[in-house]
Amino acid sequence: MGKIPPSFRTSLAHTGLVKNPLSPLPQQSPSPTPPTHKPHYVPSKKTPSKKKQPKTDRNPDLDSNSMVFKSASLSDAKKTFNSIILSTSPVQQLDTRFHNALFQSFSQISNPQDSLSFLHHMTKTQPSFIPNRSTYHILLAHSCKTPSDPDLPSLRKTLDLMDQNGFPPDQSSVDIIVRSLCSVGREDHAVELIKELSLKNSPPDSFTYNFLIRHLSKIRVLSTVYGLIEDLQNSVNLKPDLVTYTILIDSVCRSKNLREATRLLGVLHESGFKPDCFLYNTIMKGYCILDSGNEVMGVYKKMMEDGVEPDLVTYNTLIYGLSKGGRVNEARKFLGIMAEMGHFPDAITYTSLMNGMCRKGDALGALQLLEEMEQKGCNPNSCTYNTLLHGLGKSRFLDKGWELYEMMKLSGMKLETASYATFVRSLCRADRIAEAYGVFDYAVESKSLTDAAAYSALESSLKLLKKIKGQLSTTEHVI
Amino acid sequence: MLPQRAKTALLANPKKLGNLIDLVNLPSTLREFVGQSQISRLGCFIRVWSYIKTNNLQDPNNRNVVNCDEKLRSILLGKPQVELAELPMLIKLHFPRGPK
Repeated sequence: MGKIPPSFRTSLAHTGLVKNPLSPLPQQSPSPTPPTHKPHYVPSKKTPSKKKQPKTDRNPDLDSNSMVFKSASLSDAKKTFNSIILSTSPVQQLDTRFHNALFQSFSQISNPQDSLSFLHHMTKTQPSFIPNRSTYHILLAHSCKTPSDPDLPSLRKTLDLMDQNGFPPDQSSVDIIVRSLCSVGREDHAVELIKELSLKNSPPDSFTYNFLIRHLSKIRVLSTVYGLIEDLQNSVNLKPDLVTYTILIDSVCRSKNLREATRLLGVLHESGFKPDCFLYNTIMKGYCILDSGNEVMGVYKKMMEDGVEPDLVTYNTLIYGLSKGGRVNEARKFLGIMAEMGHFPDAITYTSLMNGMCRKGDALGALQLLEEMEQKGCNPNSCTYNTLLHGLGKSRFLDKGWELYEMMKLSGMKLETASYATFVRSLCRADRIAEAYGVFDYAVESKSLTDAAAYSALESSLKLLKKIKGQLSTTEHVI
Repeated sequence: MLPQRAKTALLANPKKLGNLIDLVNLPSTLREFVGQSQISRLGCFIRVWSYIKTNNLQDPNNRNVVNCDEKLRSILLGKPQVELAELPMLIKLHFPRGPK
């Protein structure tokens, strides 16, 4: 079974926020200065603990006003705007942020042409409002998202407008353009614009660059990405950095291309970068994906030689890899080692280890580990229980399995497909069909699986049972 | 021992899934029981199973066996007693594979 254990699957799901394409303005900052802090975009990691929510400075006005404009029509919006202006007393100075919020809420539901006209209207009726960089960035983000037109006329118009008003596009503008274009699947335009803007003295910074590389490496073939890297290096002297290499290595590992990953490591050394903990973790994860979990030991040793300090993710990956490779005893030793190093095993660590034990058929040992884990104050999650249920079902410890299931049911935990199917099958085999039906009911009720998935597992288990019974009766007949 | 079947690979097969969840015109016997003229095999199974549960038809001595009442008997080949294990197969009888 070369599958990622359930425990890892959920934590991988947490990385979704990095991919989340739908924040209209990733770096929208209410201040006129370009945003200085940006989330560090790196390939998905295995632990949720490292995830940093990209902090967007939410404009408080923006939330309260997001529903001001109900129709996309320009004239309606103008009316609404005028009434807002009239209703505020002259003493109350409306600041730029307020206007920006209004503007954004309108442009969210409208098209770029109307947004632009609305902006003109705003500046005309309210001379105190001077559009700043954020205002233009709003316009920029929205003009990137208009349904495809080949030459991006509205985007170019906005860029020209920015130039005229003394805000030549800077790195944050490039970032917004690239992210918005990528979020609507127009990567080619993004590449084109990066090249163009780089020549106009606003090259993308390393965050934008790495974002683009990461995005492309997910949807394009490797050679295209390499082509782009080379292209950017030659034309605008943008060099890949450690993060870029990590992204590339991660993406080739995902496509199970070990040779390319090794080559990239060589290139990395040649370019004078020293692998950091994160890169080592990525390599370890690569080996795990490639089903050669035993190799993680080698990576770990190399890390120690290079004097790179391992972190929790390293240990979790290590234990996962060893468990998967069947070296559970060694994996178990690392529980102690990691605690010595000051990293306390978490639910993921324990679940990986339990998974390894269950694979070896030692489901009862895994159950003991659950107790140990709870004693140490580490709370098991639903993946832990599912792993155990799966293991107990496989090794036919039905009563223990049932106990565990009851516990899961009490706390409303969801069942995973594999553990559900295994459990139902072993219940059916033991002729505890009514109980199997009960598990089916719970799976449907708790919406763990789709009804069809739950039913087909039940049905095929019953079919299998009939077959076994049929075989038995025929053999009896012969005798 | 039989080789372990690919557990839920069934769902990877769209034809089999369609077989399970597509609405089917019902024969008159089933129509009476279900109370509607169209239902999927999955929906029918769930309907029958919940009928068994609400009317408490499982045998108190052996929960794996259902003592059919008259209404249930009418759709399950007239058997006075059915095993839960055969329930999916019995219901499947009402859903013959249609012409391709």
